[in-house]
Amino acid sequence: MKKLNRREFVKLAVVAVPGSLMPQPLKVFNDAVNQILGTKQKSNKYVPKPITNAGFGMVIDLGKCIGCRRCAYACKLENSVPDTISPPYIMVFETGSATGVTGHFPSPERLGKGTTMFYTKLRKNKWYMPVQCNHCDKPPCVQVCPTGASYKDPDGLVLIDYEKCIGCRYCMTACPYNARRFNWWEPEIHHDQMNPLVPMRRHGVVEKCTFCVHRTRKGKTTRCVEACPNKARTFGNFDDLDSKVSKLVESERNFRLKEGLNTEPRIWYLTKPKEKIMRWYRPLPPPKNIRGVKL
Amino acid sequence: MKNAGRSFYIFIIILLAIIGWGGFNWLRFLTHGSGLTGSSDVVPWGIYISGLAYFIGVSAGATIIGLLIHAFGREDYAPMGIRAILLGLLCIFGATQFVLVDLGVPFRGLKVPLILHNLTSLFLISSSSYYGFMAILSAELYFTVKITRGKANERDEKIAKWLGILAVPYALWVVHAFTGSIFGVVKAREMWNTPMLPVHFVISAIASGFAMVILVAVITSKIEKRELLTSETFDHMGKLLAFFVIATLFLDFFDYFILRYSGTKEAMETWHILTRRYTILFVMNIGGLTLAFFILLFKRGRTPNGLLIAASIIQLAIIAYRIDLVSVGQLAPLYPGMGELYYYPTLPEVSVALGLVALIILLYTVLSKIIPMEEIVPEPGV
Repeated sequence: MKKLNRREFVKLAVVAVPGSLMPQPLKVFNDAVNQILGTKQKSNKYVPKPITNAGFGMVIDLGKCIGCRRCAYACKLENSVPDTISPPYIMVFETGSATGVTGHFPSPERLGKGTTMFYTKLRKNKWYMPVQCNHCDKPPCVQVCPTGASYKDPDGLVLIDYEKCIGCRYCMTACPYNARRFNWWEPEIHHDQMNPLVPMRRHGVVEKCTFCVHRTRKGKTTRCVEACPNKARTFGNFDDLDSKVSKLVESERNFRLKEGLNTEPRIWYLTKPKEKIMRWYRPLPPPKNIRGVKL
Repeated sequence: MKNAGRSFYIFIIILLAIIGWGGFNWLRFLTHGSGLTGSSDVVPWGIYISGLAYFIGVSAGATIIGLLIHAFGREDYAPMGIRAILLGLLCIFGATQFVLVDLGVPFRGLKVPLILHNLTSLFLISSSSYYGFMAILSAELYFTVKITRGKANERDEKIAKWLGILAVPYALWVVHAFTGSIFGVVKAREMWNTPMLPVHFVISAIASGFAMVILVAVITSKIEKRELLTSETFDHMGKLLAFFVIATLFLDFFDYFILRYSGTKEAMETWHILTRRYTILFVMNIGGLTLAFFILLFKRGRTPNGLLIAASIIQLAIIAYRIDLVSVGQLAPLYPGMGELYYYPTLPEVSVALGLVALIILLYTVLSKIIPMEEIVPEPGV
């Protein structure tokens, strides 16, 4: 090998040091070409066609939820949610009393790494509130998406086309339910936890709960419903008036999150039937007159 | 390049170094993802979107000067004509670059709006309007430079005049108002969702844009060691600026007053975050605008030196307002029990933003050397 004199060494160093500092320049170039021309693989081929005459939705009975977070963990496995995303699609809030939410579980980001903690029974004076994408009928996220990557299907699902998303995160600021997650890092996931039915995301795109579209459009139920040990969750077709969800939702305990925003969520909650709250309540006598008119 | 001394090249090298630092960090974003920024799933928009809002605002200065020259016949503003157009053009360009570095998949973003589009999105409408604004300002620049060189015919002068006037309603009604509406339409966020926001955005844009034109005028006068504008023109500028500042302050006051008075749960949380946790930004915004207004009230405050101080304070105050609006506006938790949310920009994030600012300054410095800025008046006796 030829020996370098000092001048040549300095020249080489001037070229090599910035070159090695450049983080993978060819990858950047290749990425840029792929992003502009579009990659051949379309993510939508993983998504089955929408089912006609169906309106999917979910009912969550808070009286039955024990806050075990099995739904969150099962969801993570089913949808190949990377460890780099925290919290996963489902967040479970813990409330101290019937009056308000006091906090959510610590360290949800540990879910994928084996330090998951599950509670097996209801703790005293606590109740739980799982939240996720509500698949709204009037979704603000779909309205604001500049590329049309977020879209609403006729069977009620709000989905994201990962090949169209440019990662502007307007949908995340517009979502009143904090349901969307952004891939801030290159997704990291153990190969054992990968589900081949779900397309893998790249860094820089937004993802969220899909109501397990690869299962529900094939006639199965969602994974979180299967995982729930206490059957707090029910998934079904609201358009079918004989379905279980349609019957459940007729309960007087029903409510939806932030209904004042007129987003029409497709997840209905049933409040906890709590006699303690109702103890002070006594039925009022019927009114004798209204505005001076005797009844 | 003529008139380029040694300090000019040192200045260019410093700017290039800042751009290089920012560019290197942006390459890291491209390969590793945007996780190096201080944003998170609960605060998705950081200082880049604040930068977009700020630079879109500053570009309003170009149209205001055009309006003063062409519609109100203030010929004494003519030396700032081309400078203001160039400044506006570069600010719009810089603002689009702020969006580009913020995107998760930036080069796919170039497909918007021609290949990928959803017409209900205000992001799409406003970003398309930026391209239109760049086209109008470029045409205006072309014809004005032609006039300055003395190569224009009567038709060119007419076109330049009408472009200067038409740019105003286009900029204020389409560009600035729709940029304000990007935030105004988001019903999920208490601090954003107010019909006053587009108005607020337009008025503060005019204040910051006009202040930036004044800054450029004063700094150019100081560097070239000559009076670019007469002292009477500077005085007039100061009076106009004082009016824009008091209008912005008025809107600020009533925005916060209504937020505080209505006192819904989210409003109180937002108020608490604004005044207790991000006090510096709040004081910079309100205090800075008040201070600048009082400086401009005095006759000495409307001299070049006074204007330099007042206009710089206004820039800082408007930057603080943009950060308050964009990032702090997202900090009110969407669910009770999410705890206190925080947003602080990281060093790589700041470096990319500084790099973009340096890029705008560099382009302005170089282009202002190349493009003839004003009519060359032959000196008497030559």
